[in-house]
Amino acid sequence: METEPTLPKEIIANLENKYRLNDPLWKQYVDYLTDILVPRFSTAEEVPSLLTDALIRFDVGAVHVKWMNFGPSYASRARTVNDIFKAQLPISAQLGVLALCIALTIGIPMGILAALKQNTRWDYLGMSVAIFGVSVPVIVLGPLLIWIFAVTLRWLPATGWGTWQQAIMPSVALGLGSSALIARLTRASLLQVIREDYIRTARAKGLQERLVVIRHALKNSMIPVVTVLGPLFAALTTGTFIAETIFGIPGMGKFFVTSIGNRDYPVIMGTTLLYAIFLVIANLIVDITYAWLDPRIRYT
Amino acid sequence: MAVQESAIGQTLERVKIKERKQASLWADALYRLLRNRAAVMGGLIAMGLILVAIFAPWIAPRDYATQILTDNNRMPSWLLNLFPSSKGYVQISEGYLLGADYVGRDLFSRIIYGTRVSLSVAFMGPLIALLVGTVYGTISGFFSGRVDNLMMRFVDIMYAFPTLLLIILLMAVFRSTTQATVPGTLRYTLTSIDARVGGMFFIYIGIGITAWMGMARLARGQILSLREKEFIEAARTIGAGNVRIMVRHILPNILGPLIVAETLAIPTYISYEAFLSFIGLGVNPPTPSWGSMIADGAMSLRSYPNQAIFPALALALTMFAFNFLGDGLRDAFDPRLRGTGK
Amino acid sequence: MSNRKSKLVFGLVVLATITSVVLAGCGPTPVPTPTAGPTPTPKVITQVVTPTPAPITGKLFLNLGPGDVPTIDPALSTDTSSVQIVEETTVGLTRQHEETTATEPGIATEWKQSADGLKWTFKLRNDVTWVKYNTATGKVEQVLDKDKKPRVVTAKDFEYGVKRTLNPKTASDYAYVLNFFIKGGEAFNTADTKKLSEAELKKLEDAVGVKALDDFTIEFTTIEPTGFLPMVAGMWVAHAQPSWLIAEKGDRWTEAGFFQGYGPYTLKEWVHESSITIIANPFWPGTANIPKPKINEVTWYMLDDTPAMANYETGKQDAASVPLADIDRVKADPKLSKELKIAPILCTYYYGFNTKKKPMDNPKVRLAFSMAVDRVSLIKNVTKGDQEPAQWFSRPGLAGAPTLKDYPDLGVKFNAAKAKALLAEAGYPDGKGLPEITLMYNTHEGHKKIAEAIQQMWKTNLGVEVKVANQEWKVYLKTLQTDSPQIWRLGWCQDYPDANNFDKEVFRTDGHEYKATNWSNKKFDDLVDQAGRETDLKKRTELYAQAEKILVADDAAMIPIYWYTRVTLTKPYVKRTFSVLGGLEHIEKWEVAPH
Repeated sequence: METEPTLPKEIIANLENKYRLNDPLWKQYVDYLTDILVPRFSTAEEVPSLLTDALIRFDVGAVHVKWMNFGPSYASRARTVNDIFKAQLPISAQLGVLALCIALTIGIPMGILAALKQNTRWDYLGMSVAIFGVSVPVIVLGPLLIWIFAVTLRWLPATGWGTWQQAIMPSVALGLGSSALIARLTRASLLQVIREDYIRTARAKGLQERLVVIRHALKNSMIPVVTVLGPLFAALTTGTFIAETIFGIPGMGKFFVTSIGNRDYPVIMGTTLLYAIFLVIANLIVDITYAWLDPRIRYT
Repeated sequence: MAVQESAIGQTLERVKIKERKQASLWADALYRLLRNRAAVMGGLIAMGLILVAIFAPWIAPRDYATQILTDNNRMPSWLLNLFPSSKGYVQISEGYLLGADYVGRDLFSRIIYGTRVSLSVAFMGPLIALLVGTVYGTISGFFSGRVDNLMMRFVDIMYAFPTLLLIILLMAVFRSTTQATVPGTLRYTLTSIDARVGGMFFIYIGIGITAWMGMARLARGQILSLREKEFIEAARTIGAGNVRIMVRHILPNILGPLIVAETLAIPTYISYEAFLSFIGLGVNPPTPSWGSMIADGAMSLRSYPNQAIFPALALALTMFAFNFLGDGLRDAFDPRLRGTGK
Repeated sequence: MSNRKSKLVFGLVVLATITSVVLAGCGPTPVPTPTAGPTPTPKVITQVVTPTPAPITGKLFLNLGPGDVPTIDPALSTDTSSVQIVEETTVGLTRQHEETTATEPGIATEWKQSADGLKWTFKLRNDVTWVKYNTATGKVEQVLDKDKKPRVVTAKDFEYGVKRTLNPKTASDYAYVLNFFIKGGEAFNTADTKKLSEAELKKLEDAVGVKALDDFTIEFTTIEPTGFLPMVAGMWVAHAQPSWLIAEKGDRWTEAGFFQGYGPYTLKEWVHESSITIIANPFWPGTANIPKPKINEVTWYMLDDTPAMANYETGKQDAASVPLADIDRVKADPKLSKELKIAPILCTYYYGFNTKKKPMDNPKVRLAFSMAVDRVSLIKNVTKGDQEPAQWFSRPGLAGAPTLKDYPDLGVKFNAAKAKALLAEAGYPDGKGLPEITLMYNTHEGHKKIAEAIQQMWKTNLGVEVKVANQEWKVYLKTLQTDSPQIWRLGWCQDYPDANNFDKEVFRTDGHEYKATNWSNKKFDDLVDQAGRETDLKKRTELYAQAEKILVADDAAMIPIYWYTRVTLTKPYVKRTFSVLGGLEHIEKWEVAPH
């Protein structure tokens, strides 16, 4: 049972036939790309098949349009890569957004505090707390949180996803790690901005220090922070394997790890492609945010 | 001949001036760094860790690999008072400062020896990244035009690849395809190197391969702004070759920011090692690494909290040190902060 | 400890080779005579019946282990989690008892072998109907045919099931198990779908030796007289499958909302990667050995052991397997210790040798390594699950396997002094002169701990430094088959409760692990062949004992380490059975008291 006999050649041949693996490599690649890029049109009622499943499906009159077929998962005989995207990605995105929110709520105030009181006790304390967040790995923080809040205090459920109670511990465990990065960037950036001429001008015209910081310095100092938000969000959404394992969350992160162990090539390809798309979109949003933060930035 | 003599003389003169200026830049940075108390503390801790790594056999009370199976999961009484929930099933043994692990190895000694693994990752990763990234970025930035375009697009493509996925992929490939046992082949050589360093070799390479891209970008950016500077122009006029310009004039000027960036990246590399251990792609037993100790210990956090918490504390301390040191270095090197008095 | 998502292996490969000598139904597995099962009720269901008024209540929460259930299609299932669901939602012609491992009536009530031994005829119940869970009403309903009459599970559905599994287009991993026994099975299963026309394929399909004689009689034609066919015919790959549904929904028929089954339970909800829920089938007639279910809903989570343990402790789960690290705590806990049960399962944990690679080509070296493993200490201090120290491979409890009571000194035991002496005899005193030795295991927390402990035992007892390495499961299996390391780890669990499934199928020349061991011993082969033919249980046991002596002592081709147990916690309000079939539970026998 804990072993697996080598399958008879014929069985392997059947599997290769089914998954088109006996085609030459270049043809497999071309087919793969075609399946993703070229929409399929059909009028006949088709029997659902994992091989022809597609991410986007709609009807134009009597014509069925199927577009973006990422192929079946080898590890599961019931699901396709599209199924995984549809069911698991939203969960990861929710977790990613929540973790990012926590990272920002902790990181930015901490960074501001540290910058305004540079090289004082506050600076060190703030940075210490922030770095502590990143230093305690999720592997330890996760079980620790479960032990305290689920098993001992019985305040929160230990595993699962779907209710706000279930979301608290994993978002905190993930968000704390990134808050250090945000705090450090905020601090560094604010330190630079605060010495710019226009801040000096603002001060010189007698503006309250609080207003100077909030209205003038902070907005501009956010540019480096916003820059990392894109990649950070992509990382938080996809790189959550450990948190998912510990808290039993049915997210995307595990596929980045398990698909490699399983040699589940369509899932590896699909998730990588997805990550790249994610990164591009996130960076686009970041670019747009730049223009709002600093009107001097123009794109031609 | 004479003309050439004087040209060399002029160059020498210029170099001297350069060096003086450089020295002042580095001295300035050092001065600045020393005034940053957090950075000094970070630096001291980092140095302490290096010493611990070097003198591990003298510091550790026991061997990191020797097991006393019957002592599995034991704790000294002070720990038991710290974790009262473990009372009742944990056997007391005062001989282990931080307790024994699941096969009865001294946890404290393993943490001490683990410093070697974690620090070697902390330095080998950046070293590879610096070597590859700087050379790549320098070439790309220096030649600009089509070469630059081509080289940078390659970096962009690699960038869009999720780092962790790439590392896992590389590790999985290394681990599975290099199990050759026929001596004399490259695969065999690689595997035996890996075995000799306790399975660390492929981790270095995995981290190095994913980390150089950031370096390359940074180096290129720095060079693009330096290239048009007068002193490069001057060096070129007096007939200095590309290589000479790159090595003598450009590299020393961009090294500061690169080192700072890498210092700040060290905690990330250390956490990569922990992650790889968690998914079973870490070091080979019985090599002690904090990552693998944390991964093992996290499974038994409920029953034996000490087995995860102490290696995690060691990891946290190291991250603290390098983060503060890195921040301090950046503050020290950043010319914009110069003269602000703080 | 066991790899939860591992493949179930019905390694009947080698069995096929011995069937030629199995005459008149004398197989290595004692052929079960159907126990006094209920005689088929003559009443054929023709109308929609309302379920029995006694409401089935209660919910049960369990854990299947991490990762999604790969499939619940009987034709495609290969691993324990899939088969667990399949065995509850559909029932085979026969069924293995989960504690005694006897072959019992499933949908078939009686079966008999023809005079020439080539044909087996099964009589089916006629009171089992196809059911499905209606998501709109929240009720389990009978599936109706065109005439609005309930669909009864017929012999044709079983015939379709077998043929669908064998169809090359289905590409079932497990079809080969049927190939070995059923006439025409291999020809159909290995047909080249690209070259053959539909008509030719149909011809091959029709030639397969499975035929519904009437609605409730099915006949299997075997290649050779096969005594244990009733056991094979009960396997999930030969379960009835709903042809009408598969024609309509294709690959998607197993999704919740579409799924149709006929077992004591049916599928209610399948949240991929998270949980799977089955709901009691009120139309299940209830038989002597498959009673009506007493728990209405059973949900399995898909969690690692550690979070599952947290769920158990917070009351979100009703049973859980105890993670290794928590065993001591559970044993000492006044409450949890009462809920703890350590039960045997029919598996053996072992290390194998690649007998081609130096220095493992020397039996003395191998025996030295085997004798240097202190199994008692390993179990007491590392695995902690009250496993039994293994002295040989075939686990006691299997038919034909030697028992410790009768053979206390058979096989290998820990003996450091003798191990050292053997190594010296082999020319490597204190390990001097040995080449580099690698021990490899598949990536898993528990395997790692055991490997580390044994690595140290070899160092202390033999003075040998062994290198330890690990690989992911799939890659690992490939390594074993292509270039196995000097020492490697595997476990073996029963597919059917007979020593033949262990000794012969795994270690005989050309057995499952032949490519990993490269070990072949004519005498061993003869002994296990002879044991397969022998009908007298005492003589068989003696033959296996002799074979084991060669396997683990004389030739020392492998290191038996321990015989498995399962360490589980069950809430006091759950009344349950403990399956020895590697975790395949028969939930319909469980009860949940209000709590």
